[in-house]
Amino acid sequence: METLITFLRLVLLSMVPFVLASQGTMLGGRTGIFNVAQEGIMLLGASLGFLVSYQVGNNFVGMLAAMAAGAVFGLLLAYFTTTLKMNQFFIGLSLFFIGVGLSTLLPKLIIGITLSPPLIPTLPEVSIPLLSQIPLLGPILFRQNGLVYFSIVLSLLLWYFLYRTQRGLELRAVGENPMTADSLGINVVRARYWTAILGGALIGLAGAYLPMVYTGTFTEAMTRGRGWLAIALTFFGGWSPLTILTGSLFFAGVEVLAFRAQVIGLALPYQYLLMVPYLATILIMILTFRKARVPAFLGQNYDREKRNL
Amino acid sequence: MKALGRTILPYLIAIAVAFAAVGIFIAAMGFDVGRAYQTILLTSFRTPNGFIQTLLKFIPLTLQALAFTVPLTAGKFNIGGEGQMIVGGIAAAAVGITFSDLPPVLLLPMVILAGVLAGAFWGLIPAWLLYRFGLNEILTTVLLNFVSFAVIDLVATGPWRDTTAGHPTTIPIGQGGWLPMLINNPPLHSGIILAVLVAAGIYIYTSRTTGGYELVATGANPRAAEVFGIHVGRMFVFSLVLAGALAGLAGSIEVAGVHRRLIEGMQSNFLVLGLIIGLIARGNNLAVPFVAFFIAVLEVGASAMQRTLMIPVEMVFIVEALVLLFVLLSDVVRRR
Repeated sequence: METLITFLRLVLLSMVPFVLASQGTMLGGRTGIFNVAQEGIMLLGASLGFLVSYQVGNNFVGMLAAMAAGAVFGLLLAYFTTTLKMNQFFIGLSLFFIGVGLSTLLPKLIIGITLSPPLIPTLPEVSIPLLSQIPLLGPILFRQNGLVYFSIVLSLLLWYFLYRTQRGLELRAVGENPMTADSLGINVVRARYWTAILGGALIGLAGAYLPMVYTGTFTEAMTRGRGWLAIALTFFGGWSPLTILTGSLFFAGVEVLAFRAQVIGLALPYQYLLMVPYLATILIMILTFRKARVPAFLGQNYDREKRNL
Repeated sequence: MKALGRTILPYLIAIAVAFAAVGIFIAAMGFDVGRAYQTILLTSFRTPNGFIQTLLKFIPLTLQALAFTVPLTAGKFNIGGEGQMIVGGIAAAAVGITFSDLPPVLLLPMVILAGVLAGAFWGLIPAWLLYRFGLNEILTTVLLNFVSFAVIDLVATGPWRDTTAGHPTTIPIGQGGWLPMLINNPPLHSGIILAVLVAAGIYIYTSRTTGGYELVATGANPRAAEVFGIHVGRMFVFSLVLAGALAGLAGSIEVAGVHRRLIEGMQSNFLVLGLIIGLIARGNNLAVPFVAFFIAVLEVGASAMQRTLMIPVEMVFIVEALVLLFVLLSDVVRRR
C-alpha cells in the first residue's frame, strides 16, 4: 500500500514537465505552428531557471526567467515562420541548437567550473488544508509542489478555452483552415504569434521544473529527451488538452518505473530500464496511430496572398 | 563565375554577421576577441597536427551531414544519425573483437561492413514505422538515439569491458580490423579516402542517376511523383536506410580508424553538427563536404581556444548555429 501511494505520488510529480511542454506544443500546433525546438527550449529553461534561482535566491524568479526565455524562442519561431514564412522545421531545429548551446554555455560563464555542484532548494510541498487529510487520495493528490496543481488547472483551463469559448473555436479554426478563418475576420497572424509565445513559455517552465524538483542543479542534457517525448505525447493526445493530461500520466508512469525501478531492486541491468520510456513511446504511437487527430494545417505557413493552399 | 559569387556571397555575409554578433558578446565577457578568432580560424592551418585533427573531424561530420541530407532530398528528416552511428560502432567493435585473429584482408572489410549494416538496420526501424504506420520519422529517429545510448552502455560495461580504463570502454579490436594509416605522425587513417569517395558517390547518385532523380522528385512533390509512377513510400524507406548506412559507416570508421575500440560517448556532438552542416548546405549534397570542412576548422579552433584562452567551446557552437540562421534568413532577403 505504501509503495503504491509512493508510486502514484511520484507519477503525479513526474507528470509536470510532460504536461507543460506538451500543452505548449499543442497551443502552437493549434494555430499551425509545429514547434520542434522543445528539447532545446527545455534545456535552456532548466539552465536559466537554475542560474537565476541560484543568483537571486528565489525559485519563483528563476521560473519567470525560464518562461521569458521560452517566450522569446516562441516569438522568434512565430516571427521566422509567420512573418518571414520560413520552413518551420529548419527554424525549429536552429532554435533547438541555440537552446542546447546556451544551456551549457551560460553556467560556464556565470558560475564557472566548481568541484561540487552548486545547489538551489527544491520546490516545497504545498499541502492543501483538509483535502490532504483524505486517506489515499490526500497524499497522492494534495501534498505536491505548486506546479503539479498549476499543470492540472492549466490543462482544464486550456480545455475550457478551446472547446467552450468563441475565441477558442476561432483559434482551432486557424489551425484547421486559416484561409476560412481569415475570411471570417479572425486575425491569423496574431493567433499564431501569441500561441507560439505562450507555448514557448510553458516549454521553458517545463525545463525549469527539472533542476527545481529533481536535482537542485543543472546538468548537461538533463532533459534526457523529454522534449521529444512531449512532441510524441502531443500527437498521442490528439492535440487536445485533456487527453494530453491523461496521456502524461502514462508517460510519467513509464518514467517512474524505468528510472526508479533500481530502488525497488529489480534484477535486470539498468540499461534495459533506460530504454523503456523511448520504446514504450514508440509502441504507444503504433497502437494509437489510427486515432491520431492532427490539426490540418500543422507545420505549414499561411500566406494570404496565395490563391490556393 | 558570377552565379557562383551569388551563391557564396550570402554565406560570407552570414558568417561575418554571426562572428560579429558573438564577437560583441565575447568582448562584453572581457575576453580578447582578436586572439579568440585568430585561434578559431587558424589553428587548423598553423601546424600539421592541427590540419590532421581537422581532417579527422571532417570524416564523421561529412557522413553525419549526408545521413541528414539524403533523406531530406526525399523530404524526410533523419535526426537519428547519432543512434545509427553508435549502433554502427558497436557492430564494428563486436566483429573486430570476436574475430580478432583474422588477417586484415578479411577482418577490415568485415568490421566496416558490420557498421554499415547495423546503421542501416537502425535506419530501417523508423523507415518501416513510417511505411507501415505512418509514424512521424522525426520522432522515431530521435527516440532511437536514446535507446542506442543504453545499448552502448550495455556493451561497453559488459563482458568486453576494458577494466583498466576508467571510462566505459571495450578491449581493442583485432589488428586486422585497423584502418591502414596514410600518415603516421601525426596519425591520419585511410578513412578519409572512404569518406571522400562516399560523398562523391552520393553526389553522383542524387544528381546524375535515375534512382537519384526519383529521390529528388519525391522530395520536390510527393503527389506528383506518385502520379508519375514513383513508389513514394519505398523512396522514403530507401532514403532512411541509406542514411542509416552512412551514419553507421561513420561509427565503424571511428572504431577502426581512431579509437580501435568502442568508447562510450565517441559519437561526440557529430549529430547536431551534422544537422547544422546539412542545413547550411541547404540539403545540397555537393556543398556538404565543403561546409563540413569549414565546421571542422571551427571545431578544432574552438577546442584550442578553450585550452589556451579559457573561452568555453560552446561559444563557437553558437556561432555555427547563428551562421545557419543567417544563411536561412538570406533566402528571405533574396525573395524580396
